Amino acid sequence: MNATVAAQMTGADFLKLRKRRGTVIWSLVLVTLPLIAFFIVRAVQHSSNPVEHPPAGGLDGYHDALRIVALFFGPLAAILIGVEGGTGDASAGVLRDLIATGRSRLALFATRVPAALALSWLVVGVSYGLLLVGTYAFASGAPTPGAALVFNGLGFSLLATGVICAIAVGFSSLLASRAAALTALIGWHLVASPVLVSISSLGTSRKLILSQAIAQFSPVHLGDRGSAVSMSHASAEIVMLVWIAVFVALGAWRMRTMDA
Amino acid sequence: MSTTPDAQTTADRAAAADAVGAAIETDGLCKRFGERAAIDGVSLKVPRGVAFGFLGPNGAGKTTLIRMLLGLTRPSAGSMRLLGHALPGERALALARVGAIVEEPRFHMHLSGSENLRIVAAARGPEVRERIAPALERVGLAERADDKVKSYSLGMRQRLGVARCLLADPLLLILDEPTNGLDPGGMQEFRQMIRAMVEQEGRTVFISSHLLDEVEKVCDAAAIVDRGKVVSEGAIAELAGGDGVARELIVGVQDEALALSVLRASELVRAVSPSDDGLRVVLAGGAETTAALNASLVHAGVGVTRLEPVRVSLEDRFLEITSRLADVPEGEAAPR
Repeated sequence: MNATVAAQMTGADFLKLRKRRGTVIWSLVLVTLPLIAFFIVRAVQHSSNPVEHPPAGGLDGYHDALRIVALFFGPLAAILIGVEGGTGDASAGVLRDLIATGRSRLALFATRVPAALALSWLVVGVSYGLLLVGTYAFASGAPTPGAALVFNGLGFSLLATGVICAIAVGFSSLLASRAAALTALIGWHLVASPVLVSISSLGTSRKLILSQAIAQFSPVHLGDRGSAVSMSHASAEIVMLVWIAVFVALGAWRMRTMDA
Repeated sequence: MSTTPDAQTTADRAAAADAVGAAIETDGLCKRFGERAAIDGVSLKVPRGVAFGFLGPNGAGKTTLIRMLLGLTRPSAGSMRLLGHALPGERALALARVGAIVEEPRFHMHLSGSENLRIVAAARGPEVRERIAPALERVGLAERADDKVKSYSLGMRQRLGVARCLLADPLLLILDEPTNGLDPGGMQEFRQMIRAMVEQEGRTVFISSHLLDEVEKVCDAAAIVDRGKVVSEGAIAELAGGDGVARELIVGVQDEALALSVLRASELVRAVSPSDDGLRVVLAGGAETTAALNASLVHAGVGVTRLEPVRVSLEDRFLEITSRLADVPEGEAAPR
């Protein structure tokens, strides 16, 4: 497959995703509504009692908002988009028509990942833009993040959602079921992963939990709930790469071997 | 990642190999699901430039064969070639000039007709995008190209499925039950399109169907499949006539009693019986016997007012074969 065909196929996969109105709207709602609510509530609190409640924006507000975007709702949006990317062809019944073109199944799988990443990052980019608006608009004279932190925060948001999105594409391709993949991934993200992180008796084995590896790259302090264990960046990179490699490989294997 | 040869390279290499070999060739093809054989040793040769019917009752294994040809499922045993290319080894080359509709055509309902074709065109190669508009024009969907597919009728989706096939500029079209759900007008239109593809454009069309009438009207040749085996194969006329199946005539005569005595004594006749239309005569020989029979009646002084062959339809032949097959004990070869 040459670069032109790869670009065309990725473009086609992106078209399928961006035209899936429900997925796009829900993803945007997930990454913007909580952020808007966060800034409004904090702004109201600050205006009613400026002594006890710091400004909604500024550096403090940025730290909290980044957690919301990069570690909580951004990954949820990435799961929605990744699962749609991984199961869209099969659930629409067109996978067999694509395979019947003679194009390799692995190529058909491979172009799903960049397409899903592109849409995820677009959605997260919108959310991050909103985050910056809130941070500066509601600063009320408090210190605001500098350019380096803004840049690092964006990179961290894209990293966190990108890793989750790639895993979602692979995992959902493996299950070939949108409902099952969504349930498992959201369940892991919202329940299983935080519970495992909170079990201190698991000790350093918690380094293997994906959220802990991702948290190592945060440009802001996440606290115990965000980062319960510490590890080197190299170790965190290996943990993330293993998670991605395992699930993408499983998805590719299923795509290659399944009856269409 | 394995690669698909792209653009002109694929087309050129495919064209070179396409010059030789049958459109479809299978040898001892088998597909087993556990103990059950969905396809059981099918050896089939579909020549180029014809409409070929793959006829059989529901569950006979028609779709399974098509799915194997298109690489959607793997055979348990046997070999197959499409347009001269071995499968699965040369799958990309083999399918480069093949268009297919498997079962009902399915699409991304949230996309327009033209967007759905763009997706398949992207997988086929950069040059294919230019074929989208002509393909939509060809099937009469140009004006609805930008409408979402969920607003299309079943007939329109069938036509969009054909347009998707045409993106490959196919030498071979594989259509699985293509007229399912079409109204009579749609079916007629579809038949005309298939015949035009064969007669005017020289394409090969492989049609799987359980609709005997459809195959008889559209196809030049057919294979009858039942319980995973090809039980008969040949030109439609041959299949309908059958191999070794007696030819029948309706004979109108002026003196029925005399005619009966002449015919019963004749070596040219296997059986004769009166019917409402005249005498129903089963010939012992082929069509050439008809003239000799006429001469013998006239020679005996019987005035012949009518000599009409009884047309054996493909349906008669199909029912005869499949009902005969039902009586064959397990493990015995079916008649070919």
